[in-house]
Amino acid sequence: MMRMSKVTLLTVFVLMLFISLLSAQKASADKTQKFEQPVLISSAGQSADVKLVGMLAKKRKLNATVTPMAKAADLKGVKTLVIVPGFSSKGLGAAGVSQKDELNRVKSLVSEAQKLNIPIVLVHIGGNARRKGNSDTFNKLVGEASKQMIVVAQGDEDKFFTNIADAKKIPIVIVPKIVKAAKPLGNLFK
Amino acid sequence: MNKKNIVTYSILCVALFIGGMAAHDFLQMHEEDVFKPSATLTKTGRLGDYWQGLKGTSNDSKIFYFDSGKPGATVLLLGGTHPNEPAGFITATVILENVRITKGKAIILPQACESGFTCTDPFEGNPRYFHIKTKSGNRKFRFGSRVANPLDQWPDPLVYTHYPSGSKYSGFESRNLNRSYPGRPDGSFIEQTAYAIMQLIKTGKVDVAFDLHEAAPEIPIINAIVYHEKGEMIALNAVLSLEMEELRYKPELSPKNFRGLSHREWGDNTDVIPFLMETSNPIQGRLRGKTDEELILKGISPRYKEALESGALNIEYLPSGEPLKRRVGRHLAGFKAILEAYNEEYPEKQALLENLPDYSDLMEKGVGAFLN
Repeated sequence: MMRMSKVTLLTVFVLMLFISLLSAQKASADKTQKFEQPVLISSAGQSADVKLVGMLAKKRKLNATVTPMAKAADLKGVKTLVIVPGFSSKGLGAAGVSQKDELNRVKSLVSEAQKLNIPIVLVHIGGNARRKGNSDTFNKLVGEASKQMIVVAQGDEDKFFTNIADAKKIPIVIVPKIVKAAKPLGNLFK
Repeated sequence: MNKKNIVTYSILCVALFIGGMAAHDFLQMHEEDVFKPSATLTKTGRLGDYWQGLKGTSNDSKIFYFDSGKPGATVLLLGGTHPNEPAGFITATVILENVRITKGKAIILPQACESGFTCTDPFEGNPRYFHIKTKSGNRKFRFGSRVANPLDQWPDPLVYTHYPSGSKYSGFESRNLNRSYPGRPDGSFIEQTAYAIMQLIKTGKVDVAFDLHEAAPEIPIINAIVYHEKGEMIALNAVLSLEMEELRYKPELSPKNFRGLSHREWGDNTDVIPFLMETSNPIQGRLRGKTDEELILKGISPRYKEALESGALNIEYLPSGEPLKRRVGRHLAGFKAILEAYNEEYPEKQALLENLPDYSDLMEKGVGAFLN
């Protein structure tokens, strides 16, 4: 009898341990930082990827505005700034700005957002095509200033974003495809 | 005959022989490529039908019409804007040799700038032809120049001023069809060519148009879909749908101040929604090394592989190479995805082009399997 009760106790203990582990995991998931809306989605480098992220935000029914050339003044009333980095010479041409102008704009936008305590979320969906060369200036600038990153895996094959995330203790979500970025993007918001 | 005369006549004979051989080679490039359209071809025409100034010239380019007889959108497809970018021209050929149209119309110019197919670019050492094995035997295609033959437009100015914007380009670009839109009837040979294509778009009431290109692996705008702002949603939806097929394309918005190009001028000056696509073609690049027919067909360049592995360059090049079948497969996949996105955007006015191979078909069977 005594022997049975020890077995029962052990079983109960293991079950409780399992349940508490599950609860801890759930609690940890709940602790994933949440951001507030409305959201401003802007570009860093003027690639058309910003429009694709706008489509993903719309799909997740976020209260978001896409302004590729957003300036500090556009942050009025904004609760979260999503920046989509990636250099495009055609995009800069379409916007009628030089690379230097664009870099200055992004620096000023980031600086103003930090001043106003508006969290920045980096969403990089351009893969290899928006990495290295001119793109990485923008990727680094936005990555280091962000509070959260969502990156399509092909753009992080050399761990460029993961290394920034590790060094700055920034949560990062790696997704296999552009369309797969919609869900984690939507989940970031309350 | 003295010894001096014998030497003189011998040199003259050798010179004539070499000249004759060169002339023979030169004239061969004026022999037109053969197309074997699908059974659904409705009629053929020439670019001169849209501007009489081109009639009988090198740019009186062939046009293939496919009409389903059912109302729908009219699609225009240009290959060979740049005759040294064979994937564009061969994709147009694959489409015209296979297509079955069930709604709307399709107009195909496989060699938009035929003049450029009659010469190659100086100092590049490019082959003049490439061959593709098909079920009907080996088919020979010309590999031409980026621009029109100087025999058709000469001399080049030091600086080319685009009409009507006044944008300045290097003199060489004065013979570039894709720097000459919208063109003008009383302009240069290539401006008249651009004008005729604009007339085709207008009088043919074209709804959606494609211009297929290639570029060197080091060019930033590569494996890309360049779109006019009118077609933004169509392009972005196409990019997402292509990604589902594991094909990545960069969406690129056409700059408003980059004048003379199809994706800008077609969209600004007509009702058409234009798209331009680019693939990575090593034979156009500076690092290509040995320049021959194999490079066109297999796209394998040890130099580009080395550059890729060094990580020093931001290039679009696969370690296994960029073969023609892959480049044509990408263009076909892009063409189909954009058309599908167009049809979704305009369900009341669709164009349905069937019997076109997929990217995987091209990769598995090669281009030749889809040429008649």
